Amino acid sequence: MSSLKDLQDLIQEKYGIEPSALDPSASIRGAGLDSLALVEFLFAVEDRFGISLPEQQTEIDTLAELATLVDGLRATQKA
Amino acid sequence: MVWVTGLGLASPHGDDAPRVFAALMRGESAVRQILPELAKPTAAAPVAFDETRWFTKLQLAGVDRVSQLAVAAADLAMRDAGDGAMRSLDPERIGVYVGCGMGGAAALELAYRSTTGRVPPLTIPAFMPNAPAAHVAMRQHAQGPVFTYSVACASSAVAIAEAAKALERDEVDLAIVGGTEALLVPGVVLAWQAMQTLAGFAPGEAATACRPFSTERSGFVLGEGAAFLVLESAARAKARGARAYAELAGWGVSCDAAHLSKPEAAGQARALRTALRTAKLNPADVGYCNAHGTATKIGDVVEADALRSVWGDALGNLRVSSTKALHGHLLGAAGALEAVITVLALYQRQLPPNAHCAIPDPACGLNLVREPGTAAPGLEAALTSSFAFGGTNAALVFKRL
Repeated sequence: MSSLKDLQDLIQEKYGIEPSALDPSASIRGAGLDSLALVEFLFAVEDRFGISLPEQQTEIDTLAELATLVDGLRATQKA
Repeated sequence: MVWVTGLGLASPHGDDAPRVFAALMRGESAVRQILPELAKPTAAAPVAFDETRWFTKLQLAGVDRVSQLAVAAADLAMRDAGDGAMRSLDPERIGVYVGCGMGGAAALELAYRSTTGRVPPLTIPAFMPNAPAAHVAMRQHAQGPVFTYSVACASSAVAIAEAAKALERDEVDLAIVGGTEALLVPGVVLAWQAMQTLAGFAPGEAATACRPFSTERSGFVLGEGAAFLVLESAARAKARGARAYAELAGWGVSCDAAHLSKPEAAGQARALRTALRTAKLNPADVGYCNAHGTATKIGDVVEADALRSVWGDALGNLRVSSTKALHGHLLGAAGALEAVITVLALYQRQLPPNAHCAIPDPACGLNLVREPGTAAPGLEAALTSSFAFGGTNAALVFKRL
């Protein structure tokens, strides 16, 4: 299971950033989300997937990293 | 000399200034019933606003409606001022002067009502009262003085006066000046209802609830929106061949220093006299007054007394209307919206009516503009005034060019 597609959909829905415009391995901040907007996005991720991200989430910089983290949390939740 | 070279609106009657003025001339009310979920019926004049015309979804993160409206109206004012307005202009010589009474009410309300216990991390920058001015500065690349004036209902009239002074002192070459307010959310509306100053109305009669200077008046209705003007020195405007609407000829501010919410004629009269003196005009030279006219029982009589004490025998020749009957009270944006209306009245020599006033209150005794479509062929100067909770009074005088 990969959450990447879901995350791409969410960032498009919330900020109008097309999947093609943001390489999963590129910096999300580079796409124009500053640190506070990124926190807002992470809140939306938590709400969408019903998960709770760890506190050190500010280290996340790419959608791919975020997808890996979300995948892990969703798997734990299911188990 | 300070000239008005651009006008921009995001107002209850729309965002096209000449069309907004035409709607006012026809006496069309933008007031209707809002927030049906509230226990007490509420009339207000909301703005039909499409924020996607001005912002991408990403840009909207942390931008409250109060700032969105300001960015739109300021942008329209700059476009109206023409391509030449920005030409060979040092960004450090552009000033932004914005009146705002309360800031981002919707952002604060959303945070308080959060059901997840989570508050959007951009709530503070969204609701701070100087956010609108900052967003206008970013959008227009204005790097000079960027100021916010929070003086309740006089906020944007004070902002306009301060911008005029900055131009006179040669601190800026161009001023983007206006006001913005967006308070039509349940928490704020309930607070206004608690203050007992809002107009009552029978079911289906929200549109005519606000009746300035009428024997039947019972208070004001809230409005939201933003209004901006571009001000330049006459020398610069002439040099670039700008179309100018009017000269901002005089301004006056004063404080009653008497009571927080009860107005006082003597304080208002001081602001009116100062504005006339700055404009080098006698009362009889001014043909039209866009009154503060909130339609409260006390306020309208006090304002009429202030006008009488300054105009004296000439009061009968001063045509007066309060357009708040039609667009509501925009609080921090009221002074700017009414300045735009006053400028257009002067430019077109047309006087918008004092609507919903079937029986003028004899205690006010003003020469009200009673009919829609009233022409004023000889109009040379016009005045608009704003009187605030807190006692601050502001008056602006415009002259025809």
